[in-house]
Amino acid sequence: MTAMSTPIERAPASRGLAGRPDVNRRRMARLGWGFSAPALIIVIAVTIFPIVYSVVLSLSNVTVTGNGITLGGATGSNYVQVVQNSTWQYALGFTIIYTIITVIVELVLGTLIALVLQRLAAGRGAMMALLLIPWSMITVINAELWQYIYEGTYGVAGALFGLHDILGNSLQAIIGLMIADIWKTTPFVAIIVLAGLVMLPGDIYEAAEVDGSSGWSTFWRITVPLLRPTLAIAVLFRVLQAFGLFDLPFVMTNGGPGKATTSLAILGYKAIFQNLDFGTGAAVATTTALLVLIGCLVSLRAFKVQVGREGM
Amino acid sequence: MGARARRGWRKVINGVNFSAFIVVLFVGLPLYWLIISSFKTPSALGDSPPQYWPNPWSGANYSQAFNQYDFGSYFINSVIVTLCATALVLIFGTMAGYALGRLPMRGKFTLMVALLIISLFPEIAVIAPLYTLLKDLGWLNSYQGLIIPYTAFNLPFAIWILRNYMLGIPQEMEETARVDGAGPLRTVWSIIIPMALPGLFTAGIFCFTACWTEFLMALTFNINLKTIPVGVATFGTALEVPYGTIFAASVVAVVPIGVLVFIFRKNIISGLTSGAVKG
Repeated sequence: MTAMSTPIERAPASRGLAGRPDVNRRRMARLGWGFSAPALIIVIAVTIFPIVYSVVLSLSNVTVTGNGITLGGATGSNYVQVVQNSTWQYALGFTIIYTIITVIVELVLGTLIALVLQRLAAGRGAMMALLLIPWSMITVINAELWQYIYEGTYGVAGALFGLHDILGNSLQAIIGLMIADIWKTTPFVAIIVLAGLVMLPGDIYEAAEVDGSSGWSTFWRITVPLLRPTLAIAVLFRVLQAFGLFDLPFVMTNGGPGKATTSLAILGYKAIFQNLDFGTGAAVATTTALLVLIGCLVSLRAFKVQVGREGM
Repeated sequence: MGARARRGWRKVINGVNFSAFIVVLFVGLPLYWLIISSFKTPSALGDSPPQYWPNPWSGANYSQAFNQYDFGSYFINSVIVTLCATALVLIFGTMAGYALGRLPMRGKFTLMVALLIISLFPEIAVIAPLYTLLKDLGWLNSYQGLIIPYTAFNLPFAIWILRNYMLGIPQEMEETARVDGAGPLRTVWSIIIPMALPGLFTAGIFCFTACWTEFLMALTFNINLKTIPVGVATFGTALEVPYGTIFAASVVAVVPIGVLVFIFRKNIISGLTSGAVKG
């Protein structure tokens, strides 16, 4: 194989034009930067620049005037204020617990659904199509739908289960929110896991069966370890989304009752656009972004996944 | 394999089918509720106990969504913003994906990791400064005020997917084109793009779905040029939520994305796994 390809790779150099491959290489690299430039410029302008500006805002005394905002001196007071604020502490705890519970439930249910689909003789395509509908659904619509289901006087949850004040009761509102989230995103996890299951090598299972391994121990000792990269991707996607939780509580509960379903994103949004407190809002936003980063790195670490360097 | 499958079969057939049935109920019942509720008469929506089957069926909610409320223009706004952003993401994403996948650039690994990290940032982290920026540019309540942020937020993932597809294209194809005297743009257009088409579908459907469903930026930047999610969220007042109108609008909003997702379901599944995992 190597012997075959070597002459082809060497061909330009053996033409005897010293430095030519090098020049060519440099030209191609320049072309590469040229091709990447539009994408990089847009991404930098819309994400990096605002992130940096957000950090500056969060470290400044910001005054909002009719003409916009003016920055006073540098200060760490926004962060002190945020960290000492009991609503922020609650929102942080709520967001973390919400993320942990929903991601675990979705991972378990999603894996179970994937295992069922894998064993399904017929109709797997139709099932996949059905599962993709909640995934592609506008979250706001999901929120309105479940709000109607939970509605106090005419909601179907009241008619079927006698629960008439779900969104008015803190604990029930939180659970209700989680159910709406789990309904929308479990199918997404199931599809990722199923695709991972399908790619697993079949001969390992035959070997396990020959060894007399039971279904349960095969699952734990073969399927789960082999599936780990897939599960890691699913967890990463979900942790990210769950930590940025905004649409669902914004529409369903507006962070209430009281502050029961106030996520970090809701808190940041309200600080910025309802109280016009840009400094605090930016501090909330920056701490959230930082926590997301840490959360992702931790979950990737937990699954021992590395971003491969192959092909680079 | 065959014997094992057959033996496993008999053991699980009932359990599997029963479980699949439960899954269908779990996913399907809320969807059923959304659809039939949109066809109830506005007064029947407040019935207690609720009607489990619309009686009579009514299109009143649909005409209300389009006539009394301005759902038609929200729909058009969503289509414009989503299509433009998806087109830009595919054009710039293909160029960058080609460069990062196939051209000898120094520091491209760092660049890919940087893109990955950027794509992890929650929208809330950039919303305030972006709002100020768009306000200064006079771009609040404009199409470009959403198209450009949507493009930026969806580019990193698209570049990753497209780069992975580009890596898989055999070098010889490109060499042949070059020997034939095709320039770089020509090569990308006639060799690379056709080969990377599945990747383009995958990146496209992901971008389309993300733009179609995005709420926070649309709410913040474009409250006077509403897209569907903002429209649906603001139909009601503090006193009254017109669920019928909301559900009718929702069913209409789910149709285009549902059709696209159904057509491109294979691309979505591959994007969720190989495209994302290989990295």
